[in-house]
Amino acid sequence: MSTVSTRAPSRPAPDTDRQAPKRRRRQVRERQWPAYVFLSPWMLGALVLTLVPMAVSLYLSFTDYNLFDPPHWVGLRNYTEMLTEDPRYWRSVGTTMLYVVVAVPLKLGLALGVAMLLKNLNRGRAFYRSAFYAPSLLGASMSIALVWKALFNDGGTVSGLLDSVGIDVGGWVGNPHLAVYVVVLLTVWQFGAPMVIFLAGLQQISPDLYEAASLDGAGRRRQFVSITVPMLSPVIFFNLVLEIINSFQVFTPAFVISGGKGAPADSTMFYTLYLYERGFTASHMGYAAAMAWMLLIAIAAITLILFRTSRSWVFYADEEGR
Amino acid sequence: MPEPRSGRRPLPRRAVLAAAAVGLSAALNSTLTACATASGSTSGGVTLTFSWWGNDDRAARTEQAVRLFEKEHPGVTVRTSSGDFGAYLQKLATQAAGGGMPDVAQLDYRQVSQYAGGGALMSLDDTIKNGTIRTSDMSRDFLRTGTYKGGQYALPMGRGITGYAYDSAVYARANIPSPKPSWTWLDWERANRKIVALGLKSPDGRPFAGANDGGTNEDVFETWLRSRGGKLYASQTELGFTEDDLTAFWTFCDRLRKDGTIAQARDTAQANSTETSPMGRHLAAADFTWDAPFPSYPALLGDSVHFAPVPTTDGHQGSYFKPSMLIGVSADSEHPKEAAQLVDFLLNDQRVGDILAFSRSTPPNRRIAARVARTLKGPEREIYEYAQTMEKYGLDAPPTAPPRGDVAIQTAFTREYQRVMYGLATPRQAARELIDEANRELRS
Repeated sequence: MSTVSTRAPSRPAPDTDRQAPKRRRRQVRERQWPAYVFLSPWMLGALVLTLVPMAVSLYLSFTDYNLFDPPHWVGLRNYTEMLTEDPRYWRSVGTTMLYVVVAVPLKLGLALGVAMLLKNLNRGRAFYRSAFYAPSLLGASMSIALVWKALFNDGGTVSGLLDSVGIDVGGWVGNPHLAVYVVVLLTVWQFGAPMVIFLAGLQQISPDLYEAASLDGAGRRRQFVSITVPMLSPVIFFNLVLEIINSFQVFTPAFVISGGKGAPADSTMFYTLYLYERGFTASHMGYAAAMAWMLLIAIAAITLILFRTSRSWVFYADEEGR
Repeated sequence: MPEPRSGRRPLPRRAVLAAAAVGLSAALNSTLTACATASGSTSGGVTLTFSWWGNDDRAARTEQAVRLFEKEHPGVTVRTSSGDFGAYLQKLATQAAGGGMPDVAQLDYRQVSQYAGGGALMSLDDTIKNGTIRTSDMSRDFLRTGTYKGGQYALPMGRGITGYAYDSAVYARANIPSPKPSWTWLDWERANRKIVALGLKSPDGRPFAGANDGGTNEDVFETWLRSRGGKLYASQTELGFTEDDLTAFWTFCDRLRKDGTIAQARDTAQANSTETSPMGRHLAAADFTWDAPFPSYPALLGDSVHFAPVPTTDGHQGSYFKPSMLIGVSADSEHPKEAAQLVDFLLNDQRVGDILAFSRSTPPNRRIAARVARTLKGPEREIYEYAQTMEKYGLDAPPTAPPRGDVAIQTAFTREYQRVMYGLATPRQAARELIDEANRELRS
């Protein structure tokens, strides 16, 4: 969020007129106050809907609060309990990490691959672009997650197909070793949004570069490694950061597919789902708030690390001389 | 607002502030009035809100009863809402936390302590004392299930009991006598082995098991525990069983499942209704269940399905009569008197009894139960007679309402046994983890 400076930048006043800065400040204030009045609904909104809830959530994370009784201050107990006493907390962290590590590269790889195919396609590009983008619009909905659940349930289409070729695993949804991949596949299927961004990035790369490279005898693979990837690296970086942040917050598909329980045996108990379960099913709002703050810290740390490492691999065209 | 002559000329401060204030107050006012009309009373008189969970049949019958109440109490309007069980509980919890709980709400046994302890429910002691709510036709022991720390906070709406749905045709084929109230867990194990020995196949060609796997179900464990003289909770903050008890139960289930005597893990994991249960899918001959959902088994599987007692330990039954659901009044209700009248009407009016019948299991009012029982036939008659048989056989008194942590412990129970089923933990490891978690829940 941008901060609104409440004071005009003051400059050292000339010694000759000691009253000047005061007067100038007053003038500035007079010019600015209507702006604050007109901004006030927004600032009120930011304060009431963002800052206050955040502050309350931080406060609640140090309390024991069950929604019924008034919050009861327990200091760091929620944090120490989640880090040292709760095996399910670490399982939810593990499940979420597994999901991020598998789903993000798959999704981005698929998005890039399809974008490269579409880039060279002249006829029907608009059609394919919309067709591949559609799941991104639909995918977050409950109904698609329900369809997915039906597909992978015992007796559903997928297990039926596998069964017909002699692989009998039963329903994926009921199997703790496979259930998480149902959610992964549902996410990967929604590769449309990063694909469109990749497509835009690919179109920015000058054809001259490829032409020159092929004159020098570079093959397709060489061109991909030496031209496409470096020229596209800012876009890759952008998509990577976005997808990682989104993946840490995966909720709806896991909620629907596991019936809100992270079932079976906690195999789809992602971090946010566990947070929800602690807060709304088990009525431990304080613990849930503490989990939310840990997630915020973790995402901030991971984003920071990504930005740090990006200096060594993200290439911006205007830094050519570096 | 006067138009400024130049860009430099400041706007009149008062005019702008006044305009902003008017706008803001208009916005706030409209939301406040919206709230008032939504929750307060209308000009016609008193508006009560009443919510419950259940299927369409229960909803239709309850609506009919509520309309009758409105006719008897001119000036009182009752707005109703209902949903399915899982969503209902979460919605009610959020409403109660925000002080917006319905005036009258159907409650689960597991919610009573939580809501009463958190001050969300009104004490019904005074309304019972002054006769607004009559309890003379209900069992004193059974009323205790709606108490918290000695006060009556909710009243049972129906009386349920656990039992065992089984396919008598399969039992006859395997030469197993029909289960008596005194049959034991060992008899049960032997019966399952005999069924498996028949070598029956399900429609998709998989082996047919004796029963479903009760290891995921806290109710089955409670019945097993009580048959051995134990109980789930020693107090509101203490478990009534040990790690050894739970390990023994889960080892028993685990062994039978590995033998193929009871349903496979993947079928147990996906069972969440009669249709998806191993028995409903023709994968097993029997299922632990409650009396209220029992009629859906013969409806799905045919008339050879009957309702039997759950196994005992040396003849000691672990079943008990439990409120299938309760009813309570919000502590924040603006019309406690009318709310209490509605509760009384739903529980004690004979015409309501005829309308609601057994849609919430056996009515707690004995006079109404006997009156409605005369009209019962088929599976419903069977459950009614089952309850009478069990009453005569002799059951231990029901425990008081479970502690507030029980909601979380119940789901943990299912999850931990799933870990056992899929080989992610041994019965002892899972039991250790459950008890650790339960102690954390009960502590807070």
